[in-house]
Amino acid sequence: MTPIDLVVNGERRSVTVGDDDLLLDVLRGLGHTSVREGCGVGACGACTVLADGHSVSSCLARAVRYDGVALTTADGLPAADDVVEEFVAARAMQCGYCIPGFVLMGHELLAENPDAGAAEIDAHLEGNICRCGTYLEIRTALENAARRRREATRTEKEPA
Amino acid sequence: MTVDPRSSVATAGTEPGGAVGERWTRVDARAKVRGELHHAADEALRPCLDVVVARSTRPHALIESVDAAAAKAVDGVVDVVTGADLHALLGDAIFTGPAFADQPCLAVGKVRYVGEPVAAVIARGQAAARAGAEEVAVGYRELDPVHDVDAAVLGAPFVHDVLRPSIVFGDLAHLRDKRDTNVNYEYTLRHGEPAEPPPGSVTVSHEFWCPPTHHVPIELPFTAAWRIGDRLEILSATQTPSYVRQSVADLLGIPLGSVRVRSAPLGGSFGAKMYDRLEPLAAALAWTRNTAVRLAVTREEAFLLTTRHGCAVTGSMTADADGNIVAADSDVRYDTGAYADVGPRITAKSGMVASGPYRIAQAHVRSRCVYTNKPSAGPFRGFGVPQVTWSHESLVDELARARGEDPAAFRRRNLLREGDVSVVGTPMHSADFVGCLDAVTDALDWDSPLHRPTGRYRRGRGVAVGIKAVLTPTISNAVLQLNQDASATLMISTVDMGQGSDTIMAQIAAEPLGLPEGSVRVVTADTDVTPYDTITAGSRSTYHTGNAVRRAAEAMRDKLVDIAAARFGVPATDVKLTGDGLVSTQTQESASIPELLHGHFGARGTTLTSEAEFRTTWQPYDKETGRSPQVTEHWFAGAAAAQLTVDTMTGRVHVEHLAIAGDVGRAINPAMVEQQLTGAAIMGVGHALFDQIVFDEGQIVNGTLLDYQLPSIHDVPDKVTPIIVENPHRTGPFGAKGVGETTIIPLAPAIANAVRDAIGIRLTRLPLTSERILDALAAQEEQS
Repeated sequence: MTPIDLVVNGERRSVTVGDDDLLLDVLRGLGHTSVREGCGVGACGACTVLADGHSVSSCLARAVRYDGVALTTADGLPAADDVVEEFVAARAMQCGYCIPGFVLMGHELLAENPDAGAAEIDAHLEGNICRCGTYLEIRTALENAARRRREATRTEKEPA
Repeated sequence: MTVDPRSSVATAGTEPGGAVGERWTRVDARAKVRGELHHAADEALRPCLDVVVARSTRPHALIESVDAAAAKAVDGVVDVVTGADLHALLGDAIFTGPAFADQPCLAVGKVRYVGEPVAAVIARGQAAARAGAEEVAVGYRELDPVHDVDAAVLGAPFVHDVLRPSIVFGDLAHLRDKRDTNVNYEYTLRHGEPAEPPPGSVTVSHEFWCPPTHHVPIELPFTAAWRIGDRLEILSATQTPSYVRQSVADLLGIPLGSVRVRSAPLGGSFGAKMYDRLEPLAAALAWTRNTAVRLAVTREEAFLLTTRHGCAVTGSMTADADGNIVAADSDVRYDTGAYADVGPRITAKSGMVASGPYRIAQAHVRSRCVYTNKPSAGPFRGFGVPQVTWSHESLVDELARARGEDPAAFRRRNLLREGDVSVVGTPMHSADFVGCLDAVTDALDWDSPLHRPTGRYRRGRGVAVGIKAVLTPTISNAVLQLNQDASATLMISTVDMGQGSDTIMAQIAAEPLGLPEGSVRVVTADTDVTPYDTITAGSRSTYHTGNAVRRAAEAMRDKLVDIAAARFGVPATDVKLTGDGLVSTQTQESASIPELLHGHFGARGTTLTSEAEFRTTWQPYDKETGRSPQVTEHWFAGAAAAQLTVDTMTGRVHVEHLAIAGDVGRAINPAMVEQQLTGAAIMGVGHALFDQIVFDEGQIVNGTLLDYQLPSIHDVPDKVTPIIVENPHRTGPFGAKGVGETTIIPLAPAIANAVRDAIGIRLTRLPLTSERILDALAAQEEQS
């Protein structure tokens, strides 16, 4: 067993983990139940978290390797998160089980490429499964979030 | 036919409104997006022991020994329990199932499929339980297995020695102790007198196959159970809390009041999480060991819990010289696996629509439910109807083509209209097949010439319609609590699994009372609190539970009017409920709901309660003819049309435009209806093109999400057009019916008919994989 510090949504959490303990189980044990198992083999995206801003399938990740790494879970996003707002506005959910994973994938994409359009969005989300078939709404949500970011950037750049 | 939805409903003339027909946001939208909604496995539980089962490695074998010594020696393992152990304690009650009491929660004496639970390892922690399960050594004496549905129909080997009808579906009692058969149920439909085809008629016939598939809701199955004195409490991801309560009470021989079943918002289900899944084992272990247990299964194990029926159909259809369908014949074989589950119901309910939604002079259907040595097949969105629709919509298409007629025009001439009596004997109402067909073909601009390239990519268009009966007879109850501040709490046992029932029911409850969006809280199903509801399935909830909720809300309105009449000193007939509260039309005196309830009880925080029930009845079908004047409360009508290209180099199908339509009576929330229409269609795209469970000698070989293909964002058609068709149902809540299954039913044949249009090949086996299409193209080239 190894003592580590997980930095989850900006909060440092000291935990003791075994070498084989999955990041998925450790985060859920800390109450972050927005991180969910769907397949156990990294093929559905329901367990997605961001580690230093990069998406990770936490069902395949050993917790011990994330000592000190900044982790983001969907439940820890700010109250007025642009991606969350656009998912709600676009009705991008049915059962909702997979949606936190899509939201985090969207954050990763928009941080890398705020100009992302439908093709880039689709390419980035190909590893996430929404069995309810809410893909069109999810794509719309991210297109709108991208537009919102571009407009915010333009406003910032405009002279006062 | 289109009727003003507000003109024909029972509550016409009521003042309030503002809820039904509105695009309210899902009640839990933000919590879902942030992942803050708790599913069953997310709830904080009392300390539980973990249970993992050791599974059969043989498809059909007698259990000669179970050696648990090594498993018990694993650190953390508390106990190992076998089927024989539970049978000694609970007797034959451990055999459960809705149709036949044929499935033990742990195998007793015999295993019938690869993956069947043989022993339960109870341990402190999931890892120890899993390690223990690996160590259970089972001695088998192998029996000949039967894997193929058409081999199983013929005779031995037999999966079960005798048929054991359950007490749940009472109408199967006549099958008790039937021996030497794998056919556990047979439904026959005979309509009209068989006759020689008239001169100039055309007949087409084919063999069709739909493979078994899996629901794969992304939330994994989960059940926890614990005993408190003489009570058993269960938390389970289930669509059927009321059923589970009765099933567990029967299993343990305890009163209903001693069993509490709680469900939770489901992370999808599609039929996977209903009737007896993990609950009987969890209940039996918790009760007999007097402990708390948790069963959390892996995706690989979830594939073994239930599947969609593989189905073979031998079908033929005849049209006369005038283009009227005069005869249809279907021989349907459902592969129900080792345990019947609801297979017999699927066999009947699908058999009665195996000829499609057409006016047909003479129809014959033989539909059989067949045991094989494979994992059990159960309910799946569509309840067996997509499998027979695959047959009749392919046949109708070929029949039109054989006559040289446009497939849409041919269907339009033959489709059932309002008031028509179907071949099963029950009339049509609020099921506008023609309207749905017209809607989807118009969306594709069907009558315009299609650009048909002749090179590598070939383009085609196809259409299909579907019919399904709503689950009947069933029961719903609702208890509505109006809080003194004019918010409301609604207690129902309908389970929200993504279809949006919490929002729909909130809108129905709000409508008669004029309550605003966000004011009605729906309590999650809990049999200690929420009243009996048959099941959340079969697209029944909007109609059945919706009617109970509407009645409860109307009863609440009447109570408010009575209280106001007493307060104002006027007759109740002079009191009106308006958006601002209750008003006397005589005196103009008024009181808001908070003022009224505060005055009535003399206290803040008080509650006023109303309740209602809603039941549907049917007339059982005749055992000889399969016909009934009321076999169902109502019908679902849907249609799909696809425009696509086939890549003749790779065999890949690319759907350019998919239009889907369903007659929903009236859309309570159009935005959510469109999501159900679209979501079911995208699931159907998977069934059409790649989705299937692959078996080798009865063993699933693609039971992981690395191997099992599901529709991703890349599989969504370039354009999807969901169309709501509204022909209000005379007794629907505000005219409404359900929608969850409507568009999955015609989806696969619509795509196959478009492929037929594109490359001139009729494919009769699903899914339409690249390999199948390339093989068919190669065969076509050889012939030419």
